[in-house]
Amino acid sequence: MSALQTFLLVVDHNKDEAKEIAERVAHDVEIRKTTLIEIVQSLGEYINDEDPILRGKAVSYLTAVIKALSPKYLSRQQIQVLTTFFCDRIEDGGAVAGLETLQKLDRFHRELAEEVARATFGYQGLQSRSQSQRFQVYQLLNELMLNHRSALRDMGDDSIVGIVDLMTGEKDPRNLMLVFSILKVVMVEWDISNHAETLFDAVYNYFPITFRPPPNDPYGITAQDLKNRLQDCISSTRHFAPYAIPSLLDKLDSTSPNVKKDALNALIACIHTYDPDAVSRYSVTIWETLKFEILNAQEEFLSDISLEALQGIAKRLSEGVTEASPQLPLAQYLRPITKECNEQLREPQQKQAKPSQQILRYTSAASAVSFILTVQSVVAPLLTIYQEADGIVKQRALLETLVVLFDSAISVFGEWSARGLDTILMNPLLEFKDQFSEIFGQALMKSAKEEVSFRVTALKGFLRLSTLRDFFQDNEIGLFVQYLDEILLTEESVGRDDLKKEAIAALAEISKYKPRLIMDITFPAFVATLPDADDGTISNYLPTLEILAQISVEKDIFETLVRRLLSKLTILLQKEEPGSPAYPRAILLTILYVMDQRKMDQDPNLGLYYEKIVMGFCRSVAASASGKAANRILNDATVLDTLGRLCNLIVRPVSKEQQDEVAANVYTLFAPAEEFSPVPFAQSATEDHQRTMIISTYLLAGLSKDCTSIPYTKPNMSDLLSDLIQRSITSTEPATRIALLRHFSLLVNKFLSKTDLPLATEKFNTLLPPGTESQTLTPEVIKTTFWLSKALVLRLVPTTTTILTSLLSLLSSPDEQTSTTASRGFAILLSDDDVLSPTNGANIRLLSKQRVFTTVIPLIANKIRQVNIAGNTDSESSPAPSHIKPAHLTALSGILSTIPPTLVMPELPTLLPLLLQSLDLQTSDSHAVRAATLETLAVIIRDNGVSVIDECGHVQSLVTRLLNTAAYTAPSAKAAVNPSRLRADALKCLYLLAQTPSPDAPAVARAGKLSPLLPVKAQVLRTLKLVLDDPKRDVRKTAVDARGAWLRGVDDVEEDED
Amino acid sequence: MASEIQNSNPTILNAADLPTRLRPTAPRKSGAYGAGIFTSALPSAANPNDPFSSSLYSSETSDSEDELMEEPIDEQEIYDLISTISDPEHPISLGALAVVSLPDISIKPSLPNVPESPLRTVSVLITPTITHCSLATVIGLGVRVRLEQSLPPRFRVDVRIKEGTHSTADEVNKQLADKERVAAALENGTLMGVIAKMLETCQ
Repeated sequence: MSALQTFLLVVDHNKDEAKEIAERVAHDVEIRKTTLIEIVQSLGEYINDEDPILRGKAVSYLTAVIKALSPKYLSRQQIQVLTTFFCDRIEDGGAVAGLETLQKLDRFHRELAEEVARATFGYQGLQSRSQSQRFQVYQLLNELMLNHRSALRDMGDDSIVGIVDLMTGEKDPRNLMLVFSILKVVMVEWDISNHAETLFDAVYNYFPITFRPPPNDPYGITAQDLKNRLQDCISSTRHFAPYAIPSLLDKLDSTSPNVKKDALNALIACIHTYDPDAVSRYSVTIWETLKFEILNAQEEFLSDISLEALQGIAKRLSEGVTEASPQLPLAQYLRPITKECNEQLREPQQKQAKPSQQILRYTSAASAVSFILTVQSVVAPLLTIYQEADGIVKQRALLETLVVLFDSAISVFGEWSARGLDTILMNPLLEFKDQFSEIFGQALMKSAKEEVSFRVTALKGFLRLSTLRDFFQDNEIGLFVQYLDEILLTEESVGRDDLKKEAIAALAEISKYKPRLIMDITFPAFVATLPDADDGTISNYLPTLEILAQISVEKDIFETLVRRLLSKLTILLQKEEPGSPAYPRAILLTILYVMDQRKMDQDPNLGLYYEKIVMGFCRSVAASASGKAANRILNDATVLDTLGRLCNLIVRPVSKEQQDEVAANVYTLFAPAEEFSPVPFAQSATEDHQRTMIISTYLLAGLSKDCTSIPYTKPNMSDLLSDLIQRSITSTEPATRIALLRHFSLLVNKFLSKTDLPLATEKFNTLLPPGTESQTLTPEVIKTTFWLSKALVLRLVPTTTTILTSLLSLLSSPDEQTSTTASRGFAILLSDDDVLSPTNGANIRLLSKQRVFTTVIPLIANKIRQVNIAGNTDSESSPAPSHIKPAHLTALSGILSTIPPTLVMPELPTLLPLLLQSLDLQTSDSHAVRAATLETLAVIIRDNGVSVIDECGHVQSLVTRLLNTAAYTAPSAKAAVNPSRLRADALKCLYLLAQTPSPDAPAVARAGKLSPLLPVKAQVLRTLKLVLDDPKRDVRKTAVDARGAWLRGVDDVEEDED
Repeated sequence: MASEIQNSNPTILNAADLPTRLRPTAPRKSGAYGAGIFTSALPSAANPNDPFSSSLYSSETSDSEDELMEEPIDEQEIYDLISTISDPEHPISLGALAVVSLPDISIKPSLPNVPESPLRTVSVLITPTITHCSLATVIGLGVRVRLEQSLPPRFRVDVRIKEGTHSTADEVNKQLADKERVAAALENGTLMGVIAKMLETCQ
C-alpha cells in the first residue's frame, strides 16, 4: 500500500500515525527519494472523487507533507504551483491549512497573497460549514493580514467587500472575536471612504451584544470581551460618525438599562477617538438626547455615564483652544447646555435642579476654556436669583450650585499653591470675588443660628474659595479664619454641632497650607481662653484643647503648641492649690494626641522632648512620690497613666544610648539615690510610692527588646519576678495592680531569654500547683496567674498546652468564686493590650490565637457534654455544681471575643451547640456572655449566610433561641428581663439570617433550593409581630427590619400574609 | 412602568430639612478621660474593660433605669417608617417629596371611652405631588402595607388622601379604606411588585 493510502486509512482515528507518515514522505522528498510532483500525481485518482470527504483527506495529505517539510525546502516556483492548486480547491478540507502553511514561508510573495485572498473571498457557502472550518478560514485571513497586509490593502475595495461578504452571517463568539479584529485593521488602515456604511453595518449588526457564555465557559470568552472588540470597531474611524452616532442615540430608546449602558459606553469611545470636527457636528444632537437621561434619570449609573459623555465632548472640543470666544465649536456646544441649566436652576428646589448642577459640574471641569464659558453664562444669573430669592431653602440650593462650580474651579485651576497645572488663562471667578466673599460671609455669620445646614453650605463654599489656587489673598482667608474662630469660641452648641465640626475640619485643612494664619489668628485666641488652673468653675478647656490638637498638625504650630502646654503644666505643678487633676491630665492628653499624629522618629526636637518630658517629669514623679512636691497632681493614677503613655511614645524612637539611660533609670526614675528608692525589693512601700510603677511600666514597654541593662536582671530575673508577682497580689489600688501585672508580663514576654523560660514556668507552678483541681484561690492570685499565662501563651512557650489545661481545670473548682473569676480571665489571654502590644515590641506569635482556640474548644465542649449527661441521666453520682457549665460558657465567650472569625468557621459544628447553650443561660450575670455569643453568631451569619447553620442542622433551635432572647417580658414576671441590647442583638441575628445571600455568591447557591428558613418563617413572623410592641424604640426598629427581611427574603411557595 | 411619567420635576426637600428625632445627645461621659477625639490616642483607657470587674457581668449597671423607661410609639416613629418609601415614579423618598409629612400623622386611642384599652389608630394623610396623580392609590397602598408589616397588632391603620390635594380623593379614599379591595389589590402580582420595589429603600 502506498503512503497515501495508509494515510487515508488512519487519518481519521490516529492523528499521530498520520503525521508520522507525512513526515516520512517529507523526509523522502528532502533526500530526493521522491519528488513533490510524484506526490501530487499520486493524489490524482482521489482528488477528483465524488466524495468530498475523500477529496478533503487527499488534500490534507498534501498539506501534511508540506507542513513537515523544512521551511527552506520549497522553491518559489513550487510555492506558486502549490498555492494555485490549493486555491483552486479551497473548499476542500485541508486546503486552507495548506495555504496557511505556505503563506508563512519566506519565498511566498505578495502576488500570491492577493491570489489567496481572492480565493478566500470566493469560498462558496462558508457560513454553512462547521465552526472550526470557518475559524480556519478567518485564521488564514488574519495571518495574511499580519504577514502581507500591504498586498491586501492594495486590493482596495475588493478586499473590503470580500471580507464583509465572507463574514456576513457569522454568529459564533470565537469566530467573531477574530472577525472583529480583522475588520478593525481594515477600518483603520484602508481607505474606506466608498464603503464606510457597508463596513459599519457589518459590525453594527451585532450591537448590542447579548451573548451569555455557556456554563463553565469552555471558550474563555466573556460578553465583555466581545463588547470591547465591537466597540473598538464602531469607534475606530471618523467615517462612521454619520452612521454610528445616530444609531447609538437611537438605542437609548431601549427599555433595557444594559443596552443603554453599552450604547453610552460606545458613544463615549466614539467621542474619544473621532476627530473634533466630527464630534462637534453631533455635539448638540448628543446633548439633546442625553439631557433626558440625566434630568429624568431612572438608573443612576446611566446618568453618570451620560455626564461622562458630555464632559468627553467638552474635552475634545477644547483641544488646542487657548482663548474663550463665542465662535468656538465648544461655545456652540455649551450654549444650549447652560441655557437649559439656567432654566432648571431658577427653581433650585425642584428635582431636576440637582442633575443640572451635575451637568454644570461635569462640563465646566472639562477644561479651563470650558470653565470660563460656563461661568460667563451661569454665575451672573445665579447671583441675580440669589438676591431675589424669597427663602433660605432656595438660597441654600443656589449656594450649593456655586459650591459645585468652585469644585470644578479647583479641578481646573488647582488648589493652594499646586504646581504643574499651568493655565495661562485667568480664573473667571475672580471677577466675582468680592460678591462671593460678601454672600458667603453673610450666609455664614449673619443668618439665624438654627439654620445649620445653610451655614454649613456657606462654610464649605468659603473653604473651597480659600483652597482655590491664586484666588483669595491671605488677608481674605484670614477673615474666614476669624469667622471660624468666632463660631468655635463664642457660639452655643446647636443640635448635633455640625457647624462646629465643619469649622474645626476647615481650620485643620487651612493649618496645613497656611500655618501662619492659624499661628497669628487662631492660636492666640484659643490659648488665651485656657485657664491657669481648673478650680472647678470653668470646665470649658476640654473643647478648646481638642480643637488646638486638631489644628496643630503642621510642624510650626505643633512645636508652639507643645511649648505652650508644657509651660502651662510646669506652672500647674508648682501651684499649692492646682485644682482638679483633670486639667493637667487633659493637657498631657493633648500633647500625647498631637505627638501620636506626627511621626516622632523624624522629629528634630526629639532630644529636647526626651529631656523635658521623660527625664524632667519622671524626676518630678519621684519627688511627688516621696512627698516633696508642692501638690499631689503627680500622685494621681490617671495623670501618671497619661504621662506614662507620653513617655512611652518618646522613649520608643530615642537613640541606643538614651535607651540604655532609660533602662538604668526604669525604677529610680532619674532621681538621685538618696531621694528616691526603687519600688522592687523596697521593704515597706506606701501606695504613693508603689504608684510610680505605672511610669516604670510605660518606660519599660518603650525599651527595645535587646536592651540588656535593666536593673535586677543579673544573673537572672527570678527574684525581680517573684517580688513583682507578690506585689501584684497584695496591691490594693487597681491602677497600681494593673501596672504591676503588665510590668512582669512585659518582662516575661519580651525580655526573658529563651534559656530562662523555665523560671517563668516555675512561677506559674508556684501560683497554680499542678494536680490540685479542687482548690480555692483568691481572685487576686487568679488574676496574676492569668496575666502570667498571657505573657507565656502569646510567645507560645513549649508548655502552652499544660498552662491552658491547668487554667481550664480551675473552672471545675467546687468553689464558685474561684470558678467564676477564672472563667472571666479567659478574655484576658488573647485580648489586645496597650502595653503588651506589637507597637511596644511584645513577642506575639502569629499562631498563638489559633493554638489557644484549638486547644481550648474541644476541652470545653467535652466538659459541657459530661456535665449535660450527668445532669440528665443518673441521680446516684452527685451532679456537678450548677456554676460549672456557665463558667465554661463564659470562658468560651471570652476566648471567642478575641478570635478572628476565620478561625471559628472550621470548628463551627463543635461550637454551634455550645453557643446555643450560652443563649439558654438565664441568670442576670450571663448578659455579657450572651451578648458576646450573639456578636459571634452575627459575624458567622453575616459572612456565611444561613447555609452554614443549616449544614449543622441547627436552624430551628437557633431561631427559637433568638426569638426567646428577643422577647420582652414585663419586669413583674419572675424571669429576668432581657436587656434591650440583647433583644436588639438577637433581632439583628434574625435579620442577618433572612438577608438574601450577597449577589456575588455563586448563582448555584441560590437557585433551585428552597430556603432552609421556610419551615420557621411563620413562627418568626408571628413572634416578631409581638416584638414590634417592645417598649424600646431601638428594639422595635431592629424588629421592623428583621420582619421586613423575613417577609422579603424568605421566599414562600405562596404569598400569605398573616 | 413604561407609561408616561406624570410629574417629571417635583419639588424636593433637602434631606437635612426633614424632621428627625433629635436624640438627647449623650451627656459627655465625665469619666476619667473625657470623650471626644482624645479617645483615639487612648485605645482602651477611655473604656476600661477589665474582664474581671464584676460590673460588666451583672445587670445592675447604671443604665438599668434607662431599661425601665418606656418609649411609646409616636408620630415621628411612624414618619420614620414611611418617609423612606420610594416614590413609584422617581427614586426619591416620600419624605423628600413631602408626600408624607410629620404634621399629617396622628396616633389616637381607638376607643376613647375606654381609657385602659391599648388599641391605637394611626392616621396618615397623603399629599400627592400633583392633583391628578393616578399613582396616589399605589402610594397609599404602599404606606398601608409598610405600616401593617411594621406595627404591632394593637394598631389600626388609616391611610387617606389629604383634603383638597387630589381631584378624585374620595374615590381613592374609598379604595384605601375598603378592606376587601385592599386585599384584592394585594393579590395582584404586578401591583405587589411595584409596592415591593417602593419598600426596598426602607431603612
